[in-house]
Amino acid sequence: MTQLRVDHVSKDFALRGRADVLRVLEDVSLDICEGELIVLLGPSGCGKSTLLNIIAGFLQPTMGQVLHEDIPVSKPDRRRTVVFQDYALFPWMTLEKNVEFGLKAQGIAPAERTRIARSFLALVKLRGFEDHYPYEVSGGMKQRAAIARALAPDPDILLMDEPFGALDAQTRVLLQEELVRIVAATNRTVVFVTHSIDEAVFLADRIVVMSSHPGKIRSIHKVALPRPRTAETRSLPNFINLTQELWDSLKPQWHDEGANAVRSQHST
Amino acid sequence: MGSPRLVGLINAVLLPSPTALFWAASDLLRSGTLFRHVSASIERVLVGFALASAVGLTLGVVLGWFRTLSDFVKPLVEALRPIPPIAWTPLAILWFGVGNAPSYFLVFIGAVFPVFVSTYSAVRNIERTQINAALCLGATPTMLIWDVLIPGALPMIFPGLRIALGVGWMCVVAAELIAAQSGLGYMIQQSRLLLQTQFVLTGMIVIGIIGFVMNAVMTAIERRLVPWQESSKGT
Repeated sequence: MTQLRVDHVSKDFALRGRADVLRVLEDVSLDICEGELIVLLGPSGCGKSTLLNIIAGFLQPTMGQVLHEDIPVSKPDRRRTVVFQDYALFPWMTLEKNVEFGLKAQGIAPAERTRIARSFLALVKLRGFEDHYPYEVSGGMKQRAAIARALAPDPDILLMDEPFGALDAQTRVLLQEELVRIVAATNRTVVFVTHSIDEAVFLADRIVVMSSHPGKIRSIHKVALPRPRTAETRSLPNFINLTQELWDSLKPQWHDEGANAVRSQHST
Repeated sequence: MGSPRLVGLINAVLLPSPTALFWAASDLLRSGTLFRHVSASIERVLVGFALASAVGLTLGVVLGWFRTLSDFVKPLVEALRPIPPIAWTPLAILWFGVGNAPSYFLVFIGAVFPVFVSTYSAVRNIERTQINAALCLGATPTMLIWDVLIPGALPMIFPGLRIALGVGWMCVVAAELIAAQSGLGYMIQQSRLLLQTQFVLTGMIVIGIIGFVMNAVMTAIERRLVPWQESSKGT
């Protein structure tokens, strides 16, 4: 059943010192089912992060609305938690305290908070690092902790904004596999933003391809790959074909975007 | 005129020798005078500093967070800020008489602005994603202030607190020169009137030492409270 409905959403941003506005999203509609892993894929500037921020409740749409179980989203709440590209862990808290944050907000007693936080840290394979500060661990471990923190308050939907974008290639692949395992273990709906085609195909149940200027949904692809997805998944013919197909359809856009980037550099 | 003895005498009054200072200091210590003045000054600076921290932190967090409010209040604060604390002395005496109150007030005036400015810019500079993270995890307003805004701002607030304590210490001495009946500033002023320069200089040296110790204590507290700071730069 539909858990989250993006209903004709458009978003304009005011431009500094100018009367007109920049249209970042135009008439985006999307239904997301419970337990589904949706990937928003597209070049930078296609509004995929803006859409995620609207779903999270950080931004309000200019037109249209987002419905979470038929109730309009007006502000962030713990039923939709977010994993950010730059981790956004609280540097003044140990990893355990970071994971406890959402539990404390719910008024759960300290002993119970610790117990839950430890079980989620174990789930993301960070047992033994509970008392470390974020600056003491690697980027990959930070992002695992951030995933644990987002899962701990028991959200309906996990929103992930290019979460592996800042990691090196090997760590990235490992974390993709971890994420697939964690999502299967917790049975959560996930909306995942990326510009990596490989990542999209490996993770997604459905891939929503977006195009830019203004951001729109261009096509939606169902990913017919078996679960659980493992390292071997990447060598299946379906994986390779879909990756190729997406490459071909996105290539002209990336080309345009490169040209646009050059143009905008010239104009500034 | 020109006699070597006379020249020696004048110099000894204007600038006493280290041995003279040593004996002066030990006199002051033994009689308990020094202790009495030092504790009076420290009490004043701590009260004024505590008031300044409470007001500066609150105002800094509130104005740092509510931008529209800050558009109205910030110009007023910025207009008051350049007035040197010493210039408030006449008013302080008129308002509060002679006693501890004018010293509290002058320390407050000196210390409140560094605390406010550092807190304000610290809150402004907190990463937007950290606030968003807190909000989506269901943070209550109390948690947002105590668990996110304040600890997030602490690394920038602490230098402000340290500067504020230093300024407060200078202000208390200045206030006591004019508007008090005890304290190191008062001691210096009285000794000057009696031409006892050895006590004037002893007082100045003690002021320097206590200022140094205060700064060291603040730095130690900062290391305790902001353990993540040193190695987390740039992440």
